[in-house]
Amino acid sequence: MFSIGFRSSMVIQFDSVYVALDSKDILSNISFSVLEGGKVALVGKSGAGKSSILYVLLGLLIPTAGEVKFNGTKVDFRSIDSLRSSVSYIGQEPVLGDAETVRDALMLPFCFKENKHLRPDEAAMKETLSLLDLPADIMDSSVSDISGGEKQRVALCRGLLQKKRIFLLDEVTSALDKESSRAVMKLLSQKQYTFLSVSHHDEWIAGCDTVIELSNGEISSIKTGAENGNN
Amino acid sequence: METIDISYLLLGVFYAILVIPILISLKLGLKNIRNIVISVVRMTVQLGLVGLYLEVIFRLNKWWLNLIWILVMLLAASGTVVRNAGLKARYFLPVSIAGLTIGIFGTGVILLGVVVRPQPPWDAAYVIPIMGMLLGNCMRGNILALERFYSSVTKREREYVTYLSMGASFREATAPFLREAMTPALAPTLSTMATLGIVSLPGMMTGQILGGSPPMIAIKYQIAIMIAIFTAIVVSIVVTLLLSMRIAFNKYRTLKKSIIWK
Repeated sequence: MFSIGFRSSMVIQFDSVYVALDSKDILSNISFSVLEGGKVALVGKSGAGKSSILYVLLGLLIPTAGEVKFNGTKVDFRSIDSLRSSVSYIGQEPVLGDAETVRDALMLPFCFKENKHLRPDEAAMKETLSLLDLPADIMDSSVSDISGGEKQRVALCRGLLQKKRIFLLDEVTSALDKESSRAVMKLLSQKQYTFLSVSHHDEWIAGCDTVIELSNGEISSIKTGAENGNN
Repeated sequence: METIDISYLLLGVFYAILVIPILISLKLGLKNIRNIVISVVRMTVQLGLVGLYLEVIFRLNKWWLNLIWILVMLLAASGTVVRNAGLKARYFLPVSIAGLTIGIFGTGVILLGVVVRPQPPWDAAYVIPIMGMLLGNCMRGNILALERFYSSVTKREREYVTYLSMGASFREATAPFLREAMTPALAPTLSTMATLGIVSLPGMMTGQILGGSPPMIAIKYQIAIMIAIFTAIVVSIVVTLLLSMRIAFNKYRTLKKSIIWK
């Protein structure tokens, strides 16, 4: 079992996890764990199973064998809600719903009954946008007018406004230019944030403290700290 | 005024006009000749049999016979909904039957029992065509809504789960997909209502006028049936979708894809 991260508290744990689709294993014998504050990159060729690991955490794929734990609790249908509400998932195409403006997109989670009392004020929104190098006046822009990279940063801001500490990032760097990618990495490098990311970008991967390489649904190598050339 | 009868001979000769669409289809290479022939033959056989059957039903005019006929139509419509939406009948047929039943009986009983008030209340000449029209329209709406809802959630499963991870309840996370499914399903009826009388004279009204009814009576029927159709579509779609969601999502509240698509 590989443990990854800065502190001792274990956030994510995969123990001999297998996932099959149409009687074919898409993940085989996956074992690793992520400690609080861990910055992890999942790498490998297309179809290697990187995104599938994120989908297992989101409950979109259900293991056929093995166990997944989140904050020490086995992930199953009883605990999936607590997992989902603790993480912020951002995919290649960030979900902005039917929001017209960036402000609407930022407020999306706060339209849901559970979060209504947490609605951030204007100042909090501006401050969060600035953390990701986004100007305050972008709030009034139409979501159809902003770039893919800006959409991904808006989605990240939304997670931050919800005070999320754990991010599941699926190819978020694909639409980011170098500067934006650095801004995102700089922010998420803070020790209070934990992330599990799928990426093909060398600079992003180099910024992670752990790199898990997958091949045909299996882990082929795990590089941590100095092995990955950082920390 | 008596309706002018059409002679079988002339109706038979009129089939020849189909040569025009067939030739156009051939010229355009549409490869639908087989479909045209099958559809025309099916229409002829089905309507011929229904005509004979309705003659008997109308003559006997028994409530239980009318009910059986409506139930037969309902089963056929439910099967068509599930098949055309591309879903597995084993799981979705019962919910489709429930949705259509509640939709057409809920509004049909009010329309017939309160507004039209035929004597006897189960008079086949009123009950069968009105329930048939409600059913036909609900069927089309349900096909569109079911297909759209499940294909949207399947294709955009990550969007759905993103809503869940934002703290949305199951109802809140599926709401955007429900809205997307309902809108196109209701659009044809809404646009029909908006253009009735100007762009088209509806079938029911035309039939009544041809049958000798004064236009104002035909119009009152048409207005009542359009209101009933719209209400029945909304009710049947909502019931079908909400019931189907109970079986189509697993305990993790993600789609059970293996039981959905054929």
